[in-house]
Amino acid sequence: MNYQQMAIPPRSEHLWRYTPWPRIHPTVTDEVPKADEVIFSLEGGDAFEAVAPTDHSYDDIARAFLQAAGGSSSRLIINESSEPVHINARASGHVAVGHLELEIKGSAVVFIHISGEPEWVGLHITGTIHPNAQLSFGFINELDSNTKFLRCEDWMIERDAELEHATLSVGGFRCKSDLRSTLNGTGASIRQSVTVNAIGARHEDQHVEIHHLHGRTNSDLVMNSACAGSSHFIGTGLLTIAEGANKSDASQVFRNLLLSEKARAEAIPELEVLADDVSAAHGAASAPVDKNQMHYLMSRGLSPEESQAMIVNGFLLNAFSNLTNKFLIEEMRTRLTVHLECELKR
Amino acid sequence: MRVVAEEILRIENLHVTVEGTSILKGVNLTIHRGEIHAIMGRNGAGKSTLANVVMGHPAYVITEGSIFYRGQPLEELAVFERARAGMFLSFQYPAVIPGVQVGTFLKKAVTSVRDEAPKGRAFRKELTAAMEQLSMDKSFLSRYVNDGFSGGEKKRLEILQMLLLKPNLALLDETDSGLDIDALRIVAKGINEVAVDSACLIITHYQRLLDLVKPDYVHAMINGAIVQTGGPELALELEDRGYDWLDVTA
Repeated sequence: MNYQQMAIPPRSEHLWRYTPWPRIHPTVTDEVPKADEVIFSLEGGDAFEAVAPTDHSYDDIARAFLQAAGGSSSRLIINESSEPVHINARASGHVAVGHLELEIKGSAVVFIHISGEPEWVGLHITGTIHPNAQLSFGFINELDSNTKFLRCEDWMIERDAELEHATLSVGGFRCKSDLRSTLNGTGASIRQSVTVNAIGARHEDQHVEIHHLHGRTNSDLVMNSACAGSSHFIGTGLLTIAEGANKSDASQVFRNLLLSEKARAEAIPELEVLADDVSAAHGAASAPVDKNQMHYLMSRGLSPEESQAMIVNGFLLNAFSNLTNKFLIEEMRTRLTVHLECELKR
Repeated sequence: MRVVAEEILRIENLHVTVEGTSILKGVNLTIHRGEIHAIMGRNGAGKSTLANVVMGHPAYVITEGSIFYRGQPLEELAVFERARAGMFLSFQYPAVIPGVQVGTFLKKAVTSVRDEAPKGRAFRKELTAAMEQLSMDKSFLSRYVNDGFSGGEKKRLEILQMLLLKPNLALLDETDSGLDIDALRIVAKGINEVAVDSACLIITHYQRLLDLVKPDYVHAMINGAIVQTGGPELALELEDRGYDWLDVTA
């Protein structure tokens, strides 16, 4: 079904409850504006393979819209890489859209840094991790603070393959992400972390779906957000374990730190378990900064502002604690620390 | 001519409430530089309240009386200013700060208290020496502050901070609890080092720490007030006889 044939999804749908489609669409919902291209470049200047846009038929309105809007379309195949691969995604113009296809056949570490100042940016990443391959993937959103951002990802993780997936979202004004992963073979695993620093009037909606289709598959999701000002963060998770996917292990933890009275946060993990012999857990918590933590740090000479900044920094960094790849952890920690230091100086 | 050591802490007729409940009921205490004082008492006597209120914990309300630090009224100083002025509290239950590495935290604390960033090489040397003294492995530095620490590890980290921050006034709130005898010896060594040139107030239930850190004065606290003061022999007597003989309400 193409975008123009689709009905606007109702707010009663879990995915569209907090950021309905008209709020994230770049103009009015029956329009598909002409999109400029998001330019993908590899650090060092190597070029991507430009590919024809996919003719896949999507059921989901966000993916169908990004397909209809066009923009750039690139593919990167990595057989094996000992050094991290940095991809810069640069958006410009009024409305910019990019499609990126990643195919991982060995072991690799890939970072995508998205930046730019368009009013609206759309990005669709599809990835396949082949059997026995490992990908450590970091996504860093550093878009302009006035940009609306729609991001969709679809990952297929094959037998005995591993995906470590980290998101650091500190850019954009209104952001909606819909990240879906399918564990498509026995022994497949994903460790995923999402870190969001919401300041001012930012609105950030992160939806993560992980589907266990086979037995002995593992998933671990940690989502931490710090919300200041009048920001609003929404974290929704959907974890499904298919019938027969026994011996699977899945967990989702959502934590929100509320830094002002006007800041809001929702944390809604959902489970659908159809197999009998599995381990599945989920938890969610939203709370202000702990007074005892503040007192402890202030008793060591840190001012109230420095104490809160250290607690927030630690809280956000802690979202990466379920990751294991040292390049991935180091890069995400560094990016977050630099961002928070810049914010403290503002 | 006898030289009088500097007065570090003076507490006058201190009354404190927590959530409307009266905890301290007229505490008087003066500590000079170079002195080690120990406060002993039953659970709930108000010992930890005294340490916390001196350090400025917001949950405690002073309803009467005053606290002076080096002659300055403490109510004029916020918690972080007290630390920067040279006050240190070793917490009974130190807070866990997930995501904040011990190394980062120590450097920030030292920078705040000394009012300048420590020089890299010199600081590393100082830190290494202090950690070796406390038999702490370097891997501590990359762990998150008190996250997953055993009771003994938490207490060692408190003493490590005290060694680095070199306070004028060290308040040690049940630093001996949760320590085995070897760890107690190590921690006591750290306290003795700092106590040489500072004022030290040790809060404890037991005599065993005071075997290793010799107090100049021992105070018995009952029901929010100091009811008896003596030398080290008072600690032995309290250990032997308990507190009933001092409790007029018993």
